[in-house]
Amino acid sequence: MNPTDKPIASPLVVLREEFDDWAVLFNPDTADAVGTNPVGVAVWKLMDGKTRLADIVSKVKNSFEDVPDSVPQEIEAFVNSLSENGFVGLELPGK
Amino acid sequence: MEKPVPAASKVMRVPRSLLLEITARCNLRCRYCYFFNNPAMVYRDLPAEEWLKFFNELGSLGVMKLTLAGGEPFFREDLPALIEGIVRNRMRFSMLSNGGLINDEIAAFMAGTGRCDYVQVSVDGSCAEVHDSCRGKGSFDGAIRGIRTLQRHGIFVAVRLTIHRNNVQDLENTARFLLEDLGLQDFGTNAAGYMGACCANAEDVLLNTEERQEAMAILLRLAAKYPGRILADAGPLADGRMWRRMEEARAQGKPAFYNGGRLTGCGCTSNKLAVRADGVLVPCNMLAHIELGRINQDSLVEVWQNSPALNQIRNRPAISLSDFEFCAGCPYTPYCTGNCPGLAYTLTGQVDHPSPDACFRQFLKEGGTLP
Repeated sequence: MNPTDKPIASPLVVLREEFDDWAVLFNPDTADAVGTNPVGVAVWKLMDGKTRLADIVSKVKNSFEDVPDSVPQEIEAFVNSLSENGFVGLELPGK
Repeated sequence: MEKPVPAASKVMRVPRSLLLEITARCNLRCRYCYFFNNPAMVYRDLPAEEWLKFFNELGSLGVMKLTLAGGEPFFREDLPALIEGIVRNRMRFSMLSNGGLINDEIAAFMAGTGRCDYVQVSVDGSCAEVHDSCRGKGSFDGAIRGIRTLQRHGIFVAVRLTIHRNNVQDLENTARFLLEDLGLQDFGTNAAGYMGACCANAEDVLLNTEERQEAMAILLRLAAKYPGRILADAGPLADGRMWRRMEEARAQGKPAFYNGGRLTGCGCTSNKLAVRADGVLVPCNMLAHIELGRINQDSLVEVWQNSPALNQIRNRPAISLSDFEFCAGCPYTPYCTGNCPGLAYTLTGQVDHPSPDACFRQFLKEGGTLP
């Protein structure tokens, strides 16, 4: 996924916040579930198909304290992983 | 030094799953059924609209899975509409059934949703004579027909074998029938317990010590023959495995088990809840007398997070077995969890009590020996 891509969270996937802002993303069609921390939850909520990945990273950096330098790569890896598992798609060009 | 109290399970914001008794009707009257002749139950069905409204609440909260039970869940003519409500609310489902009412039409519908985790069908023997002894004439044929229908439609079948006085001698045949003839991946076992209809038939149904020991020996042998394919959370196989560990620990003077010495036997209320057929929220279908609220009237989140009765059950691990006269002087206490609060209640009248049914010392006192 590129920094200019605009990822969109699958509306089918359930965000289930469990303890202390940690959460589970659950795909009821496949029964796949992914655990995620509060940063992952914030990323998930920003993936609306209108916001560029680079902007999602910026917003997350501004929302959390003591964000490590590696956070852009970590967020990109997280989104890529969700994309590979069918949890996230991309808004088609021209739409 | 006093053993530290295990930290109470942290409660998640909403349950992950619920067991729903969607009907109080059933085509069978099994002699050991926990559901019928249970003074805590109200035998009244809710209209589909009530369940569908509740599913909307569950979907909005992120509940992941529902188990549909009864009675017999396939008894409901409007079952497809209920399943559609589950699917619409982004949940998965499973069913607990006797199999007799499953036909191609409903099996095809369920398979088509792609959301059915499994259907559990009760099979208590390798033939009609054994199975029907407690479940009624024709029930074996119905169960097997149901299983084959589900298999034909690619739905995962999870068989549950309830052990009672009339099927101990058939366990070997039953295992072969289920695993080799029907080709099941595995099956689960438990035992008839002193609940509901079983209370009136206890003499004819419940295992005595000798039968329990024999069932334990047979099942441990079969579990070795079919590795990983015979499952047990309760009943003779679970007891046999647990009691062997406890005896070994006692003999070697091992320290207490992590969860031993306290009422830790039930963790159900850390992630799930149940609803009776009349819409009353209860901690578990084995604790149907503890009414926590009513669906569509009380907020599930409020009940889940703040119900005093529910939190009392969650705090059972803080109760030491040494507090009970029943456990006085027992050398197995450091390794014991007190087991199921549901059976503790029906046998002693107290939820916060170890279950006498799962007591290893009692088993030995009555002449039982470990295989």
